[in-house]
Amino acid sequence: MTTQYLTWLLALPAISALVVLLMPRSWETAIKRFSIGAMLVELVISIRLVLADYSDAGYHFVEHVTWVESFGISYKVGVDGLSLWLVILTTLLSPIALYASWGSITTRIKEYAFSFLLLELGMLGAFVALDLFLFYVFWELMLVPMYLIIGVWGGKDRVYAAVKFFLYTMVGSLLMLIAILYVVSSYQKLAGHYTFDLQELSTLVLPALPQYLLFAAFALAFAIKVPMFPFHTWLPDAHVQAPTGGSVILAAVLLKLGIYGFVRFAMPLFPVASEAIGPILAGLGVVGIIYGAYTAWVQRDLKKLIAYSSVSHMGFVLLGLFAMNRTGISGAMLQMINHGISTGALFLLVGAIYDRRHSRMLDDFGGLAKVMPWYAVFFVIITMSSIGLPGTNGFIGEFMILAGSFFSRSPIGFGSAWFIMTLLAATGVVFAAVYMLHAVLRMFWGRVVHAENESLTDLNRREVLSLLPLIVMVFWIGLYPKFFLDKMNPAVDSFVSEFTVRYHEGRRTSEPRLVDFEELADRFEAAGGLAMAQPTDEEVAR
Amino acid sequence: MQLEVPQQSLLLLIILFPLGGAIINGLIGRYMPKGLVTVVGVGTVAVSFALAVASFIELYGLRHEAEQATLTYHFYEWFSLKLPAGDVVPVNVRFMMDSLGGIMTLVVTGVGGLIHLYSVGYMGEDEGYARFMSFLNLFMASMLILVLGSSVPVMFIGWEGVGLCSYLLIGFWYENRDYASAGRKAFVVNRIGDFGVLIGMFILVGVAGSFEFTDINAAAMGGQFRPDFPIWVSGVAPSLATVACVFLFLGCTGKSAQIPLYVWLPDAMAGPTPVSALIHAATMVTAGVYLCCRLSPLFITSDVAMSIIAVTGTLTALLAASIAVVQREMKKILAYSTVSQLGFMFAAVGVGFFAAGFFHVFTHAFFKACLFLGAGSVMHAVHAHGDADIFKLGGLKKDLPITRWTFLASCLAIAGFPLTSGFFSKDEILLGAAAQIYRRDDPLMTSVGWFTLIGLSLAAVMTAFYMFRLYFLTFTGDYRSADQSGDHPYDAHPHESPPSMSIPLIVLGIGALVVGFLGLPHVMPITGMHLPSWWSEWMHASVAGRPVPEELHIVNLASGLAFGAMAIGIGGAWVLYRNKNTDALTETIPARLYQLAFDKWRVDELYAAIIVNPIKKIATVAGRADMTFVDALMTRLPSFNVRESGRILSRMQSGVVQMYAAVMVVGVVAVLAWFWTPHSHIEATFEDTSVELTTPQGIGYEYRWDANSDGEFDTQWDRVPGTTFEYARDDIRGVAVFLSNVQSGVERRVRVTEDWTPLPVESVVPADLRSPHDTGFEVRVDGQDLLFRRPGARTKGEIRLPMGRDGRLGLARVFARPVVEATVEVRNAFGNTRRATKEIALPFSVDAPSHASLMPMTREVVR
Repeated sequence: MTTQYLTWLLALPAISALVVLLMPRSWETAIKRFSIGAMLVELVISIRLVLADYSDAGYHFVEHVTWVESFGISYKVGVDGLSLWLVILTTLLSPIALYASWGSITTRIKEYAFSFLLLELGMLGAFVALDLFLFYVFWELMLVPMYLIIGVWGGKDRVYAAVKFFLYTMVGSLLMLIAILYVVSSYQKLAGHYTFDLQELSTLVLPALPQYLLFAAFALAFAIKVPMFPFHTWLPDAHVQAPTGGSVILAAVLLKLGIYGFVRFAMPLFPVASEAIGPILAGLGVVGIIYGAYTAWVQRDLKKLIAYSSVSHMGFVLLGLFAMNRTGISGAMLQMINHGISTGALFLLVGAIYDRRHSRMLDDFGGLAKVMPWYAVFFVIITMSSIGLPGTNGFIGEFMILAGSFFSRSPIGFGSAWFIMTLLAATGVVFAAVYMLHAVLRMFWGRVVHAENESLTDLNRREVLSLLPLIVMVFWIGLYPKFFLDKMNPAVDSFVSEFTVRYHEGRRTSEPRLVDFEELADRFEAAGGLAMAQPTDEEVAR
Repeated sequence: MQLEVPQQSLLLLIILFPLGGAIINGLIGRYMPKGLVTVVGVGTVAVSFALAVASFIELYGLRHEAEQATLTYHFYEWFSLKLPAGDVVPVNVRFMMDSLGGIMTLVVTGVGGLIHLYSVGYMGEDEGYARFMSFLNLFMASMLILVLGSSVPVMFIGWEGVGLCSYLLIGFWYENRDYASAGRKAFVVNRIGDFGVLIGMFILVGVAGSFEFTDINAAAMGGQFRPDFPIWVSGVAPSLATVACVFLFLGCTGKSAQIPLYVWLPDAMAGPTPVSALIHAATMVTAGVYLCCRLSPLFITSDVAMSIIAVTGTLTALLAASIAVVQREMKKILAYSTVSQLGFMFAAVGVGFFAAGFFHVFTHAFFKACLFLGAGSVMHAVHAHGDADIFKLGGLKKDLPITRWTFLASCLAIAGFPLTSGFFSKDEILLGAAAQIYRRDDPLMTSVGWFTLIGLSLAAVMTAFYMFRLYFLTFTGDYRSADQSGDHPYDAHPHESPPSMSIPLIVLGIGALVVGFLGLPHVMPITGMHLPSWWSEWMHASVAGRPVPEELHIVNLASGLAFGAMAIGIGGAWVLYRNKNTDALTETIPARLYQLAFDKWRVDELYAAIIVNPIKKIATVAGRADMTFVDALMTRLPSFNVRESGRILSRMQSGVVQMYAAVMVVGVVAVLAWFWTPHSHIEATFEDTSVELTTPQGIGYEYRWDANSDGEFDTQWDRVPGTTFEYARDDIRGVAVFLSNVQSGVERRVRVTEDWTPLPVESVVPADLRSPHDTGFEVRVDGQDLLFRRPGARTKGEIRLPMGRDGRLGLARVFARPVVEATVEVRNAFGNTRRATKEIALPFSVDAPSHASLMPMTREVVR
């Protein structure tokens, strides 16, 4: 039997969280070291996942254990090219965020470490779950520690922000739960048994109307998480109030779960609705790109500025995702990783200055390049990554997304909505330079005008250590993205072709039915692709 | 003939050396002794230059064997895109040196090396020396990637990389916030251009299916860019080439400081002088011209785009020259001069003289770098920081002989004094414009030719004038800061610069005088003698272009204008400024006009008013609205609803029994109202020849069926909500025609009668798959057949489709079905009844019930 890497990946943070809970409160150093150590072991385990061969599209490291048989709930986990890098992103950023936190978190160390381990468990679980019930459990599980991290260790208005975060996310996920139950019961009516297994549920084809409603329910949950304009207003509050570590994880990993939910669940299960509503979501993504950029530009609080820049960046991801071609989706998947790295690093950098100055207001800075030269270097590098300079990671993602959207669906031309959306989205590249360089100008250039800033110390070892891996990733993805894309592309390719088949099946159906998609795909293949496909007798009968 | 040398690793090394220098100086430069920083900074560029020479020699040798010789180096695959057609287009990090790139590499590394050397003296005392050297090296690496990149995305790395370096170097003295702002302005304005390059790039790859310059050019020559670009404004149909070129040219206007995006370049003079010389005069700003030359086979296919470029270039040349005429500061004059000269280059590109435009890039690199370094030398001599006011200088020819002579040489070159480099290159550009006048086949081209020729001649007059105004005011007359009582005077005792600064001046000054001989005119004016032109021979292999005219009258016209402009300009400056100490222009032209030109025609203010400020306002509004309006809508409104409805509900539960009773009555009434009448609808399922009719079951409901809706009920009242029925021929109420799109699955159903009924083809077959003259179809029943026809079509032919067979209209499948009507009456416990009726299209023929089966899937194409 093969080693159960994924179970270990989930068990380790759970066990470590329990161990932390049992440790005496006074063992602060031990708790710190232990929790970081556990997360580093996680990182090592997750790197083992990368070594697998992803040239075929299926799931790897699959484990399947029945959990509640009568309801068809099972513990089923696995990774494929779509989730692999998100898992790595989680295991990479969790220790970094926790390690960076030890610079500023001084109270309730034990609970903080416990929350962080639980959070990592929730995020990893949501990324590897292949059972809808399991996914929902993990999805809700990570809400709690994040709520605590904001609400307990946050800033002045932390309770407001935490409750807002919680309620926003909760509203979406409840609708999603209802939608999941509907899907499962429709499946049960046809197949005669319950199941929450994603792969089994994928054989269910629903007619257009239920697809629209269910997709809407899923999409609301995911769009809030992304966050898509106009559901983003919880984000600035949550970021401003959250402690540095919380902000890092929130921006770097939590937001990705929204997009991941679309890719893994909402789009394959409801392709007809996704094809119809997707362009609208992409349009909202474009609105988010521009709106987020405009709003970021006028922020005076650096954290808010970065929060709004996230809205802008995630707009790109939405655009690429619903372009529904390999270039766009691969770009979107990569851009998620990029955003995790660059925005995570930006929050670390903000945290560094906040620890020294207890302010994040742009007005309080100026001329920091003189006092903190290395800090300035790191900040400028990450800024360039954030605005997508070629050679850094941001460029590859944005380029692929824009290309994907440019070549989406229709021929090139000024009549095409996708062409217009690409043009508008590309202006986001200009605005990104405007707001990020605005921040850089206000923080680093000019003379030191505030006396308090004259004695600031440059980055310390902890900060440099937590930033360096991210800088390496910036250039690694920027200069050799093929390493990452090669593992992703087969999964994306099969996602796109499966989606197309499902979509056409959905269009033909007027009542729920089960379809063996593998058989169907073969038939389409044999007929020479979709354009040539003939209707079956059954459809003629209608 | 083509010849390609693969894997010439020199190309990679040319780039890696300066890159390595940048990394070393950037990371540990501040801890290294100054000498070591110099060795790393200048040494790497010197090695790079040597390697460039070596590869150029190899290329030169290859040219004897093949017309189109290139050196290439495939480094690795960067990433790939998948196009709609399914082809995977790799984006390779691949470098290529052809005749065009070879020259540019030599210029970049050669002039760049000299400027690095100059920087040792100029910046040696600055505390950020290592940082400066690191940025400068990084710039060299980026510029070389731009030049040597063999595909658009790789070029784009360099394209944006030089933008970054420009940003960092303009704001090098970052403690001055204005300088840093100038850097930011440069970056943002360039980004606007980059937006154009990005979109242009997508069109290129969409058409050519490749990012490689050679493939794109081949596609352009093969006519692949000729099809129209669909646009919503009717009547306007630019070609794909035009749209791609316009987007790319937007990028060029950013990088190469043309209207409308030139505004960053004058501000960029905030950077140290070597930066102005290297980046903002000799190399980076010419990248746009370089890109046009790289893609010359594409640009030349679009007359519209070419005309736009020619007109933009000419207008820029005029506008910038008119500003330069009245400026007071050395670097500012030179900056506007650069913008103006870049306009000349684009005008040359626009009239199809790519090689001439690039020749001007080449000569300009020498004389403009020399002029900037000369200005730097002056500033160094008089201890001026930032820029030097020429009205506080004067008479410097005594103290700064080397600077003076090299400066004079370059001034002559830029003015186009006979036999200097600028003379040859400018002459060639005017010749291109003159040649276009004689393209009588196209009135647009002729008028563009006239505009360009006249505009450039005027700009040439101004060029000669402002350059010699600058020269005379700086080097002749009295030294106006000698008297230290004036307003902020400079150092009273100017001194010549150290050798590290004067050697580059001398080399560049000599270059400014002699490099023009590489590009002798084809036909000598007046005599009409044919001359060999090494330049056009050499460039011919990689750059397209319109034919060079041989007619003597055209050659004479161009040369006459060039010479005349030079003579008038220099003559005017001689009269007004030689040995003078004041600005005679203020007396000769109206004060308001002078002031307006001095204020740069207030273009910056115009942009601020119509673009920057409105956007800023929108952003401010968006920022406020987000935390008030959007948040209110998404957060406070729902929470308000919950709170208020909670309050109302809790009010209701006040314990007042009457209230409870009232609510209960309302509820009971509502429930009764719903149950008072029965609700129903019919669903049909088919089994063999029988049809099973069902309706949802309701509590206490009874049903009776009239399956064929003939008014007689076929069943008695019964509690079972369904019945089975076999339809006979008489039951058929009509025929329905189905249109079903095979691809999208969209289906439409129409009842047809004996009268013509239009078919809703448009809702089934997408518009782009139908012919524009398609008037749709009409259908009617004719006995056992269906008749189709096109109303209004010239051919009145009708198409007959036997009922029960399948046809095809475009992508839609057409088939007919008999329609019957079923009725059910429902009665509920209150005795109320309601009827529901449904039309049912039978999936089988009712003619032959004995062997009824699914209809045969025969297809006939109806056209």
